[in-house]
Amino acid sequence: MPLDTSAYSLALLRVDGRRWNELRRIHAQIRTQAAADGSSYLEMGHTKVMCVVTGPSEPGPKRGGMTGGVGGGGGERSSTADVSVSVVIAGFSSVDRKRRGRGDKRTLELQSTISSALAASLHTHLHPNSTIAISLHVLSQDGSLLAALINAATLACIDAGIPMTDYVVACTAGSTSTYAANDEGADPLLDMNHQEEQELPSLTVATLGSSDRVAVLVCESRVQVSRLEGMLAVGVDGCKQVREILDRVVREKGRRMIQEGTIEKGMSLDDMDID
Amino acid sequence: MPREAEPSLNERQFVLQALRENLRLDGRPFDKYRPVELIFGEQYGVVEVSFGKTKILAKTSAELTVPYVDRPLDGIFTIATELSPMTAPSFEVNRPTETEVLLSRLLEKTVRRSGALDTESLCLVAGQKCWSVRVDVHVLSHDGDLTDAACLAVVAALRHFRKPDTSIEGGLLTVYTPAEREPVPLSWLHSPFCVTWSFYGDQGEMALLDATLSEEHVRVGSCTISMNRHGEICQIAKLGGTPVDAVALLQCTNVALVKVKDFSAFLDRKLAEDAKRRDKGGLMAELSAENDR
Amino acid sequence: MASTQHVLLSPAELAYLHSSLSQTPPIRPDGRTATQFRPLVAETGILPGTNGSARICFADGTEAIVGVKAEVEATGRQEEEGDEEGEGGSGNGNGNGSDWVEMSVEIPGVRDDDSGTAFLAAMLSEAVVADGGLVGRLRINGRFHWKLYLDILLISPPLSYPLPLLSLTTHLALLATRLPRLKSEGDEDPFFDDDWAAATYLYPRGEKRTRRPPVTLLVMAVGKNIIFDPSKEELAVADVTLAVSVGEESKPDSEKQKRGRRLKLVAVRTVDPPSRLTPPGVPNAVNAAYGAGGRQKQTGPRPVEPEAVEGVWRAPRGGAKPVVMAALVQKTLEAGGVADEVLDALDGVDLG
Repeated sequence: MPLDTSAYSLALLRVDGRRWNELRRIHAQIRTQAAADGSSYLEMGHTKVMCVVTGPSEPGPKRGGMTGGVGGGGGERSSTADVSVSVVIAGFSSVDRKRRGRGDKRTLELQSTISSALAASLHTHLHPNSTIAISLHVLSQDGSLLAALINAATLACIDAGIPMTDYVVACTAGSTSTYAANDEGADPLLDMNHQEEQELPSLTVATLGSSDRVAVLVCESRVQVSRLEGMLAVGVDGCKQVREILDRVVREKGRRMIQEGTIEKGMSLDDMDID
Repeated sequence: MPREAEPSLNERQFVLQALRENLRLDGRPFDKYRPVELIFGEQYGVVEVSFGKTKILAKTSAELTVPYVDRPLDGIFTIATELSPMTAPSFEVNRPTETEVLLSRLLEKTVRRSGALDTESLCLVAGQKCWSVRVDVHVLSHDGDLTDAACLAVVAALRHFRKPDTSIEGGLLTVYTPAEREPVPLSWLHSPFCVTWSFYGDQGEMALLDATLSEEHVRVGSCTISMNRHGEICQIAKLGGTPVDAVALLQCTNVALVKVKDFSAFLDRKLAEDAKRRDKGGLMAELSAENDR
Repeated sequence: MASTQHVLLSPAELAYLHSSLSQTPPIRPDGRTATQFRPLVAETGILPGTNGSARICFADGTEAIVGVKAEVEATGRQEEEGDEEGEGGSGNGNGNGSDWVEMSVEIPGVRDDDSGTAFLAAMLSEAVVADGGLVGRLRINGRFHWKLYLDILLISPPLSYPLPLLSLTTHLALLATRLPRLKSEGDEDPFFDDDWAAATYLYPRGEKRTRRPPVTLLVMAVGKNIIFDPSKEELAVADVTLAVSVGEESKPDSEKQKRGRRLKLVAVRTVDPPSRLTPPGVPNAVNAAYGAGGRQKQTGPRPVEPEAVEGVWRAPRGGAKPVVMAALVQKTLEAGGVADEVLDALDGVDLG
């Protein structure tokens, strides 16, 4: 199903009507789940993910193999907290139902990437011998999956009150023409949807806060090396926008919690005592 | 589950302190590979690559099979990576470690998804018969930089490989033995190579090529860039780790292109040498009317 | 199968819990009455990419999401090739049409081939299929049928045995499930109306409403008391625990005017509560699992079983009496009982 990219050059509008540097609608919520230490819900366009963070807590019973997620920062008896991530891609999340087992290599790679990216910015040395378990659920997929997962995990870690250097924020960037067409006039694109990801070169970039420092850079499609600079610049710029949005969500929630007083906080503490 | 032995604090600091003084333990400059060796086996499609003490064996094989139902026009191409306990005691059979999963994903993305091998040419009869080409990657010895070495081995093995020639006449498929017809090479489109950078320092400001195992243990992040000599990026993977400045990453990409061109020229030369060696007493030479006076 | 992991309560705490639950009326740790459900928040139609979806959040914070996807499948092909996917939790192989519904359960931190998860999936799909009627509605024509994929995700950590939560969420998701309206006729290759507004509900509603998917409730008995929707701590002292699946029967015409509904029992399973497992710290000599009971020929003096001491917990021994089992089921099904109440409450959920 070739994407009609010719329309772009006429109106400079993408398939979903955005301009080259427009993000899709990002909707985020934190503290969506009373039972968890930290939780978040994030939508980037039609990509919807949920995240639940448990910890930092004592490591639970050791499970064999890689089933419990991939550990990032060292193992047991370590001087830093272990960040273990599990990603569950729901069978109903894509257009055609496709179920991935836990051994799926792509999922394992996602887990390892998120774990390693967060472990570098969380202050894991403050929580030795403990585990931060991040459990991510993908409810709906429409491109930029890794970016959405990273953003949701960051929000949930903030909600869990785990000290961290800065937000780890991510978004995707692409280019308007395929690798074969080596035209110089190719525009970089921000925030790819599924259809664009299928047809055009794209990369996922995650930065630390609003700095230019790149924590994650994943490109899985063929693209001319000369095109990389433009794509990366747009991606880093997009990350700054995403950071603003996420920051607003966190501040808004904080403001509301203060307004509502400590009641909500006290309630959740009681709930935890019962367990 | 056995765990990898981690380097002691002394070893760790020794390596890091040396790097801060612009020294590597084996005296190489930061952006230089260890001596690369490449030996082709007697059979087509067998190659052994070594980067210093890292040693990898890749073997290509092909068999006739039925194409997947959803892709009737494509042949089957798989890359199987195996890190056996022979490599290091921390690797177990049938229990993929993170290293192994990431390695096989990288090879998959670099070689298979970038379309280096034309899978359509492997199809013989649409929906009924196709070649299934399989590369088995065995890591014989692990001293860092598995990805680059494995990628070179896979590409070399596939380009060296010859599959039996076939013909179709009136719906009848004939596969010829090497004695009947000279085996034919695979339809190869471009040769991607991986270049892995390892980052050191609080801001990831020091970048090393071809890190040894002890250097890999102390790195704060890594980035694998796969390119071909035409400057097409096939894949970039910086999977987490300490954030690195974007401009530095672009710089890494440019150096990577130079290295990829070196790899490409190196492999071309090796393949030509091997072809010459094999050709000497070949059938063609025997039948040739020319005599070397 | 152990329904939950051990709760870390001391023998004294367990005994206290047990005796307060055996009072008349029972005193539950969270102050609920014996038949009271935990309050819950429910919504449906949260995922536009599915045929039907629902989310339920219990007051204790446990949360589940269920998505239903339907695909057209050729009838008959399945029987020849068998279930290729063979996922843990598909309800395959028990009678005609049962493999038209496939269920998978994801619980964070638990392998999907874990016996507990498989048991949960089996219980849930068994009830849905056993209800009958559903399979008939999945038929498109002689050659094709819908295949339903139910993916059940537990979002929160499993704080309590998630069966009731997952079952109620599945119920709502199935109620909200819509299938595209069929435009073709007879046995030709089916094609559908692509107007989603015209799609028909899998479980018809309004005047034509006949049945609804079953719900599976967790019921336990402590002493003489029957307690609904037990929490994890309460399960730790249960004498017997049952998972009761309740369906709704279509009413005969004579009763159409009457209020209320006719409930029927769809399935019952016993669930092993953790109270039946040997708690940690019991010496092997007195552990029945190590054959302490069968070693009477032993020469030395048989280790004396500790006497029942007031205030110290002792796990219940032996099975449940049929009377208790019957009472559990009876109590669930009675008119105006808990099942009725739960179904009423779920009726109130806006199905969008």
